[in-house]
Amino acid sequence: MPDALPDPDLVSALPRLRRYARVLTGDFSRADDLVQDTLARAWEKRRLWKAGSDLRAWLFTIMHNLYVNQRSLRRRESAETSLDADHGPAAGWEIPTRATQSDRIELGEVLDQIGRLPGEQREVLLLAAVEELRYGDIAQVQGVPIGTVMSRLNRAREKLRRMNAEPAAAPLKVVK
Amino acid sequence: MSAGLPLSDDDLNAYADRQLSPERAAQVEARLAEEPALAARVAAIQRQNATLREAFDPWLAEALPRELIASATARHSARSRARSWPLLAAAASLVVGLAVGWLMRGELLQREGTPVTFPRQAALTHALYAADVNRPVEIWANEEERLVRWLSKRLHFPLHAPNLNSAGFALVGGRLVAGNERPGALFMYENADKQRISLLVRKDAEATRETAFRYAQEDGVGVFYWIDDACGYALSGNLDKTQLLSIARIVYGQLAVAEAAGKP
Repeated sequence: MPDALPDPDLVSALPRLRRYARVLTGDFSRADDLVQDTLARAWEKRRLWKAGSDLRAWLFTIMHNLYVNQRSLRRRESAETSLDADHGPAAGWEIPTRATQSDRIELGEVLDQIGRLPGEQREVLLLAAVEELRYGDIAQVQGVPIGTVMSRLNRAREKLRRMNAEPAAAPLKVVK
Repeated sequence: MSAGLPLSDDDLNAYADRQLSPERAAQVEARLAEEPALAARVAAIQRQNATLREAFDPWLAEALPRELIASATARHSARSRARSWPLLAAAASLVVGLAVGWLMRGELLQREGTPVTFPRQAALTHALYAADVNRPVEIWANEEERLVRWLSKRLHFPLHAPNLNSAGFALVGGRLVAGNERPGALFMYENADKQRISLLVRKDAEATRETAFRYAQEDGVGVFYWIDDACGYALSGNLDKTQLLSIARIVYGQLAVAEAAGKP
């Protein structure tokens, strides 16, 4: 008798996995390596995926954990050779601002601003605002309580808002 | 009704992200109608969301690298495939070899004897299936009872899947594999580091001489094997020799106990 569980549809999840990996790593080629590792792990663990549940949340959880493990390994290695372990949040963010393939300059600036956020806040913002994942699923991805997700999200938004120097109650500007 | 209801940042975020229950959303909406400053904050959050989507959505339309698509569809990940090609090729030639060997078995067995080829078969079988991320086994460990019953039936003698938890290895499952004269049974185990070891059990007519533990290295795979009660056992894996031996002893001990219990 074959396994009754269907395999998760990893191909259709690929574009979003790749996007999340880019936001995590801040580097296009490292992102693809991370996707590769995530796919291998997802295949191994595929029987643990509950058919019908949010596939993105499950895959993002695997990817988040892999990323955190790899990063702590790298930190341990680099701690011996360099002393700048306490770098700012923007360190390692190498997403080109033209990466949106859009004419609109402000979108490139958004990518730049996202890179200036601490990693966890950047992650939450992508998952909540762009992926529109449930807060509970984001908590599962990051392995933190939901309250932590909410406060990270709030801080991320507040920082972005200040970067754009948009007053809290700015009236809608009509351009064009 | 909603007047005076305090709204937190969390309420505003959750409302802007449409994560509130309909009832709670209605309450917040009523409050926002009374507080233009809060309503403006919600609008700002939603504008920010729209800008973020505009910035990040184009990435979704990019062409995907072929390797990623292959890894998302293939039965093996690209990584494990790259690592195991030489052994898979060897394993493929083993299949041919087994067919030829079976046809000429009288002659070959006279010349080589079973114990010489048994560890090699074990190592190649291990390499073939341990590298298979998705289907290392035919029946998974969650159906252990069915697995053991089925393999016992196919091999025509009672089998046992040793419990290697004490060595840190959990049963993944098992499968039927080709043998010289009769099929063999393969039990696969895995530890927390995803290292796999496998136990091959085979009963061939010629495997009558009992042997002590013997060790062989075949293509980088270590194999401890022994013949007991006309049955050949081989434990294969990429572990160091002492670790593999200690696990082989556990297997041997458990099988001896099971055998004694099975006899009237």
